[in-house]
Amino acid sequence: MDRTIAPAIDKIESVTLPQVLKFTLDNGLNVHAINAGEQDVVKIEFVFKAGKWYENKNLVADLAGRMLREGTRTKTAKEVADFFDFYGSNFGTSSGNEVASVSLTCLTKYLEVQLPLLFEIFTDAVMPESELKTVITNRKQKLSVNLQKNDFLCNRYFVQALWGPQHPYGRVTEAADLDAVNVSYLLGFYKEYYNASNCFVLLSGKFSEGLLIALNNIFGVKEFAGNKSSTDIKHAVIQSPSLIQHFERENSVQSALQVGTHTMDKTDLLFPKLTVLNTIFGGYFGSRLMSNIREEKGYTYGIYSSLATYPHGTFIDIGSEVGKEVREATLQEIKNEVDLLRTELIDEEELQTVKNYMSGKVLRSVDGPMRYADTVKGLLLYNQDADYIHRLLRDIHAVTAEELNELALKYYDYDKMYKVTVG
Amino acid sequence: MIHFEQHTLANGLKIYVHRDVSTPIAVVNTLYKVGARDENPNRTGFAHLFEHFMFEGSVNIPEFDTPLQTAGGENNAFTSNDITNYYDIIPANNLETAFWLESDRMLSLNFDEESLNTQKKVVMEEFKEHYINQPYGDVWHKMSALAYKTHPYQWPTIGKELSHVENVTMQEFKDFFFHYYRPNNAVMVVGGNVDPDKVFKLAEKWYGGIERGKSEVVRNLPKEPTQTAARVQETHADVPVNAIYKAYKMCEKASPEYQASDLLRDLLSTGDSSRLYQELVKEKKIFSSITAYTTETIDEGLFFVEGKLNEGIAMQAADKAIQDVLKEVVNTKINEQEFIKVKNKMESYLVFSEINVLNRAMNIAFYDMLGDVNGVNQELEKYRAVTTEKLQETAAGIFDENKCSTLHYYAKPATK
Repeated sequence: MDRTIAPAIDKIESVTLPQVLKFTLDNGLNVHAINAGEQDVVKIEFVFKAGKWYENKNLVADLAGRMLREGTRTKTAKEVADFFDFYGSNFGTSSGNEVASVSLTCLTKYLEVQLPLLFEIFTDAVMPESELKTVITNRKQKLSVNLQKNDFLCNRYFVQALWGPQHPYGRVTEAADLDAVNVSYLLGFYKEYYNASNCFVLLSGKFSEGLLIALNNIFGVKEFAGNKSSTDIKHAVIQSPSLIQHFERENSVQSALQVGTHTMDKTDLLFPKLTVLNTIFGGYFGSRLMSNIREEKGYTYGIYSSLATYPHGTFIDIGSEVGKEVREATLQEIKNEVDLLRTELIDEEELQTVKNYMSGKVLRSVDGPMRYADTVKGLLLYNQDADYIHRLLRDIHAVTAEELNELALKYYDYDKMYKVTVG
Repeated sequence: MIHFEQHTLANGLKIYVHRDVSTPIAVVNTLYKVGARDENPNRTGFAHLFEHFMFEGSVNIPEFDTPLQTAGGENNAFTSNDITNYYDIIPANNLETAFWLESDRMLSLNFDEESLNTQKKVVMEEFKEHYINQPYGDVWHKMSALAYKTHPYQWPTIGKELSHVENVTMQEFKDFFFHYYRPNNAVMVVGGNVDPDKVFKLAEKWYGGIERGKSEVVRNLPKEPTQTAARVQETHADVPVNAIYKAYKMCEKASPEYQASDLLRDLLSTGDSSRLYQELVKEKKIFSSITAYTTETIDEGLFFVEGKLNEGIAMQAADKAIQDVLKEVVNTKINEQEFIKVKNKMESYLVFSEINVLNRAMNIAFYDMLGDVNGVNQELEKYRAVTTEKLQETAAGIFDENKCSTLHYYAKPATK
């Protein structure tokens, strides 16, 4: 047996997608259901267009989402927590730049009995002043700790530079903003944005048809309908004129860095091919940035380049934490790697590795109902359907070195990127 | 219920196959029975540095990652105090690629000096990123050293200090590899969409020729003496908020007491309704955050409680407040509703931990390493058997200040 020869491999050129059943409740709420899996577990996730994009005052979206945990007309915060915990469920709330999400993950046998409380949270949350005060105090403490972390600071300066400090994607949390939020702002936002007209639902796991009827009975009612129109809000991007920004911090043994700039939207037809380029550059363990800056030079524990996609804008985000003494050397290497993408065609072997690696990643992204539901959620936010996954796979296999070079010339220009360093 | 078949090769390598045809992927999990507890006290961080080196090319294959990625796979590894665990996730059709790669790095490595030097640098940056350049980053070092006086759990897996990793030599690497990274000191689990007979044939093909270790791995780790007095240490650092860390001695993972200890952790800290959060964050507002967890180690472990203090709260008062919550568990009968809640949480946790085929594979390997692979399917039963009396009895055993190590972490300037 010759151990130097690799076994033959199969390419993944197609994937079988689990079925997504879409149905509409009586009040217009769309539910996307994936009924699959071996374990008797289920996750229901309500996704509201109620992220930072829609707030009029900093942190209102974030805290409105957070305060959903703090009691309803009939139940105190503790009673809500007791109720979900009693069934061993995970009650999740989160709020980001675009959407807020409320989910319940539990054993299938316990889902139905918990739905009425979820409904009450959507229609009758109370957000008591005293609970808000505790949340804000705790948030301020957490912020004070985070403000000592170079990577946290670096990200703040970076998004501010890219979008402007008033833009929802560039607006950061300040202690004073936390103090300025009150219950009436939160309730106002909650009443406007947390309803069926502004929401879609993902249901995944193993469940019976009866569950869909229960969903309609509980969440399909007029009371939850709402009337959010689909016209979108606009925000002006005000980029910083300073492409290079350094913030010195004494006693740091490392510097955090973030480099990047705006790029095409996820809905652009060329986007799947751009992801191939970015993966080669810094999107997997064997990427050029990792090979050069970690594996050859040992400057860092890790370095990445990602395409940060949002419905209202996408950017290239290169980041790392490196020894302070090699900060400038690292930036120079990033520049060299960007230039290389522009000046030389990627060789076939490297390209083939990335194509195969990415197809494996596509395969894993549709494996299991809950994992797949997450993938579908990522598509729905951009009004894409499951067909996008097939297209992605086709494009990954079809893209040529010449096309990637064209993309690099257009979208990867180190001189036009922001370079923010802290430490 | 996790099903599996098992076969042992002549060289001592144990192989489990866990078949699941609902997924298009396969996983290969390889657990080596060696961790930071096996390190020389002057070479702490060694096992973890070695884990990095395992990706730097083996005797016949110049690099580990690229061929696996070319086959559509991904991989990673972790080192704990007890074990070093490697896994590959790969499209099931390309399973043999993982066998080829994993078996070659069990056969032998390329022991390249330059790679060793680079990985030393990478690990030193990892040390800086997570333990130096990070508020409260030194806690793990301080707590390990405070809680363990003789047992090697007294240092964290990253190592006591940067110089230990810096001084490692290639000969030490070779000796370590040929002692611990032998088939008779490993457990391999192949999971996912695979045919057991084919897997056993592949195993024979790729691993059959690897020699077992010249000597069996024998451990004579110093036993940690019973702690008889409270240990309290103070530290001051440039952090914004005072914090408190308490570590109580508790049983090892394989002990029959373990499940009760773990349920105590749930009672105290899992979910918004848990006692520490409700009493100390929400009601008394002494802490801004607080959590409890256990270390799940092969030898005697730790039950941790850690929290960040709200402004204006004295350290001693905060410490006492934690002790009061713990004593309440010992002294006041736990009501049935709360007890059922904790058990439901656990059932849910166990079912969810089995969704992912990689988790299932890791669990099989872990329980085999603990000594009884069937334990992987007995957890739920063991948790169900715990009574409220047992829970309180276990709490009384653990929550004894004389068996506790406490770190009072003050924000500079010192505010007492």
